[in-house]
Amino acid sequence: MIDVDVTDTGTIIGNIKPHQFLEPPPILVPPEGGKIANGDDDNYYGMAMAVDNDNNDNIIDEAIDEEDALRTIEKLLGDDLPSRIEAATKLPMIAKALGPQRTREELLPFLSDSVDDEDEVLEEIASSLGKLIPFVGGKGHASVLLQPLELLLAVEENVVREKASTSAIAISQQMNDDDYQTKFIAMISRLATKEWSTARISACGLIPVAFSKMTNNPHMQLEHVTYFANLCRDDAPMVRRIASRNLGSLLNTVVVTIGPSSLSEGGLVWDILLNLYESLAGGDQPDSVRLHTTQNCVVLGQTMTLIKEQVLSSSSSNTSHEGGEALLRINMIVKRILPLIVATIDDRSWRVRWTAASKFASVVHAFSSLDGTMDALVSAYEKLLQDPEAEVRTAATFNLSEVAKTEAVVYPAGWTGVGGEGVGDVDSDSRRIPVALRLVKRVIQLTEDDSENVRVALAVVATNLAPVLGKDATIKTLLPAMLLLLRDSTSEVRLNIISSLSMLNEVIGAELLIESLLPAILDLAEDSKWRVRLAVIDRMPLLAKQLGTVIFSDRLLSLCVGWLGDDISSIREAAAKNLKELTALLGSEWAVQNLLPRVQEVMENQSYLRRMNAVQAMSLMATVMDESTAQWEILPVLLEMHCDPVPNVRFNVAKGLGLVGPLLNSSMYECQIVPILTLLIEDADPDVRYFAKQSIDLLTAFFESSNLD
Amino acid sequence: MVVSSSSSLISGDMSSLPSMVVDDDSASSSSGSTATAAGTVVSSSSLSSSSSGAAMPSSSAMAMVVPSSMNSSSNAMMMNAMMTTSAVAGGTSNTNTMTMQSQFSSTTAITVPQQQQQPQHSQQPPQQAPTAATTNSSSACSSSLDQQIERLRKCEHLHESEVKSLCLRAREILVDEGNVQRVDAPVTICGDIHGQFYDLVELFKVGGECPESNYLFLGDFVDRGYYSVETFLLLLALKVRYPDRITLIRGNHESRQITQVYGFYDECLRKYGSVNVWRYCTEIFDYLSLSAIIEDKIFTVHGGLSPSINTLDQIRVIDRKQEVPHDGAMCDLMWSDPEEIEGWGLSPRGAGYLFGGDVVAMFNERNDLDLIARAHQLVMEGHRSMFNDALVTVWSAPNYCYRCGNVASILELDENLQKTFKIFDAAPNEARGAPVRNPPPDYFL
Repeated sequence: MIDVDVTDTGTIIGNIKPHQFLEPPPILVPPEGGKIANGDDDNYYGMAMAVDNDNNDNIIDEAIDEEDALRTIEKLLGDDLPSRIEAATKLPMIAKALGPQRTREELLPFLSDSVDDEDEVLEEIASSLGKLIPFVGGKGHASVLLQPLELLLAVEENVVREKASTSAIAISQQMNDDDYQTKFIAMISRLATKEWSTARISACGLIPVAFSKMTNNPHMQLEHVTYFANLCRDDAPMVRRIASRNLGSLLNTVVVTIGPSSLSEGGLVWDILLNLYESLAGGDQPDSVRLHTTQNCVVLGQTMTLIKEQVLSSSSSNTSHEGGEALLRINMIVKRILPLIVATIDDRSWRVRWTAASKFASVVHAFSSLDGTMDALVSAYEKLLQDPEAEVRTAATFNLSEVAKTEAVVYPAGWTGVGGEGVGDVDSDSRRIPVALRLVKRVIQLTEDDSENVRVALAVVATNLAPVLGKDATIKTLLPAMLLLLRDSTSEVRLNIISSLSMLNEVIGAELLIESLLPAILDLAEDSKWRVRLAVIDRMPLLAKQLGTVIFSDRLLSLCVGWLGDDISSIREAAAKNLKELTALLGSEWAVQNLLPRVQEVMENQSYLRRMNAVQAMSLMATVMDESTAQWEILPVLLEMHCDPVPNVRFNVAKGLGLVGPLLNSSMYECQIVPILTLLIEDADPDVRYFAKQSIDLLTAFFESSNLD
Repeated sequence: MVVSSSSSLISGDMSSLPSMVVDDDSASSSSGSTATAAGTVVSSSSLSSSSSGAAMPSSSAMAMVVPSSMNSSSNAMMMNAMMTTSAVAGGTSNTNTMTMQSQFSSTTAITVPQQQQQPQHSQQPPQQAPTAATTNSSSACSSSLDQQIERLRKCEHLHESEVKSLCLRAREILVDEGNVQRVDAPVTICGDIHGQFYDLVELFKVGGECPESNYLFLGDFVDRGYYSVETFLLLLALKVRYPDRITLIRGNHESRQITQVYGFYDECLRKYGSVNVWRYCTEIFDYLSLSAIIEDKIFTVHGGLSPSINTLDQIRVIDRKQEVPHDGAMCDLMWSDPEEIEGWGLSPRGAGYLFGGDVVAMFNERNDLDLIARAHQLVMEGHRSMFNDALVTVWSAPNYCYRCGNVASILELDENLQKTFKIFDAAPNEARGAPVRNPPPDYFL
């Protein structure tokens, strides 16, 4: 059996350097409104949020007869794997044809017997089961679907179990409370204590979800948290890994379900969950388990922030004593957790440090409104920026601007307060500075980093610091670093920095830009790498706007026209587009005076490629000119080129006329453009004929419709 | 001194014919049969099986005709014409079918379905009727073709049926081209691409998109790179859409036998789940021109010269519609290399010859040529002139095999045949389709 996906786009990336960053890793910002999904895209909890609405649902709507269903069932029983997979996707259709009773009594037991089939089939069965509620007799019977699902939740293949979890959760949402307690939660209890580790892995994902409905049942709550605690101490590292991945969402669910009282001493959080946090982050765990510490701590921070806000908003009422108690507990919990986060920075495994580095903005945001955390966190972050591994530094650097955006204040680096512990003391508080101001010191160091990936990352994010810092601080501290990056030996760094300059422009203004950046831009404009030149061209309209016509014409105009003669086709094309943008920006008259003579020169160039680009530039410029300028200045020049000896130039004239034509009035079109296009339509070259025909069709349609108006 | 430096710099692409290198006997024994058996892989072992297998392949060829013609009711006319051809071909080259199949199973250990369609060989006259049909409907087809080109430019797959009809249309165009295809200046000459799709895109960025710039590709579109299918189909689609703007000639890798060893066959199988696309493409390979001449002055060919060819007219009379033979003029044109020697030498590749400056001078003199432009050999600096500028090697696969670290070049000839080389690097990672990020750490375990 050939196992090939025909739709595979064949993207095999074999030559990519593993450490190359192509885009910054996503920076997690806590979702609005306090509903916290675990940041990983690979957890059960997150999947349950979006029960997929495949187009399979449409199948149900189609009129189907029993014969079809029987045929599908036969396929399901057959030997051919692809048709079994196909049949498995059509379970809702089969169930509909069989009717609720036979579905419950025949189909589901049959599916329960099929769990030794191929994984591909099981995967489809698992996801189909989630859609069967309407066909087993409604919500009251939903629990029968759990029987095959329970078996699927224990199979070897991860993908199947995840699909089964999604389905089980979807079904549980629709069950009535009684069934939920007796069937669904009982199933989870069984899974959590099964001998076979895959079942226990499934339980890790289901417990946090199920907990949200265990309100008013402290016994059951304790029981399941205890199950989870046992899973966290499981002998199999695989189970501990998945448990660790789900610990954050369990904590969140526990706190949200029980409320602030869960935080008190003797509560589930303090007594059990925090112990689990500590033991799963411990050095005796494999790094795949420790890896999840960062994300779990982010969730914890977000949860605590949420509770704190709740307490503060309700503190005006008579519960202020309880409120104060809760705030105290939050502080104690945070104090217990903070060392865990700081420990990930010094973890012996670079993967753990990398994870911490790439999520650090989320960490900082999660804890930013919790007291007494920022100094430790920012110091930890600075340490990450100096990590021995370039990958870790790169990941940390990508988070720089997000970390800096936090509103909290910290002591300056290396500041040792009066008496060290003087937090809260008015005098020492006044010494605190914004995080951005402290981190900007690190930017200069990072510009000299050995790894170009770090500098590339820095060039992407550094200018985002400017709005946080404000104008004066930017000029004083950030600008020197930016100038260093503009002179970096790696062109990608320079490319990124000029691509992100606009942020800097907005803060420090155009005047300073001329003084400090123009020489660097002129230098880049002649870079040997054409992509760098391309990026510079892209910035030209913006520069023209910011510098004003006089300075631009004086300093950068010849550069813009010169690009029309560049060796690289993409540059010449971009140059033509750029001239159009400049014409639109600075006006027809300016273009006629400054650009036309230079472009006309290019039209007499030896090489057909240059002449062709000049024709393209002319037509593009005309599209943004006023009618009379286009008619008297551009059109004659363009028409002249129709007798060029090279067909490529001629068909670009034909294309250009198609662009210019709509600008003219119809009499002008009739007497100037039509004769030339008619000539080109008879050209010896088929491509000239094709494009002439295309233009004439386009223009005829255009003038016909405009005549009707 | 000069010799040593040249051989160290021009050293890549040492692909060799798998069976040919091993023993000269099988190659020489096959030379007698090339005329009838159309030069497919004929080895001594397969010759012996030809008599016993004679009956079976013809039935399998018939078995293929029936379902295919039923499927293609839409453009029945063209299809039927093709099917008739293949039925005849199947009948005439029974022995061939058998030999190919034994070769497949021995070299690749993949069971090729019995319906393996054999290429149409020399005996078939070009189909005139479909040519007329396609010309009439060409404007209607051009929009869907434009769409296909757009998809191919994004490195997306064409559906198998689209590949089939594209190849049929390409055949109508290629069959009319000469063995020495005339090309007008201005034109840009490009060397080996080898399935490096994103570097081909880079090439177009540097040299201009087709049809804005005119192109002449010197073969070796497939094998070694990850995207042979997309690369060849893009070039072929451009050829069908703009036949006057782009010329493709055949390289030594445009061969059934070579593509089974160097990747194209496996890639087709992997991406499509069957070898049909490989079959369609390799059939088209047989129709690709062998060489081109620009304004009667610049002769272009993939490999080089052949001791059995003195004049261009001798190339013009070659019957090219066949698998690349193991020896002889057609083989040499695709396999030979220039070398700083006198006269002719044995090629280390196992096919073709080495030829010296005196050979080139004599050939250019006799045919009133200024220059021979060819590809076939990796040149670290992208291009290299030899023999007092009488011959130039153009190499267009930057960072060849994704690791050689070489630059690539294309040769722009303007309307007065002035030469300009454009050097370019491999496409940067962010230009290579699917964004790749640091893999999640979990995957390291």
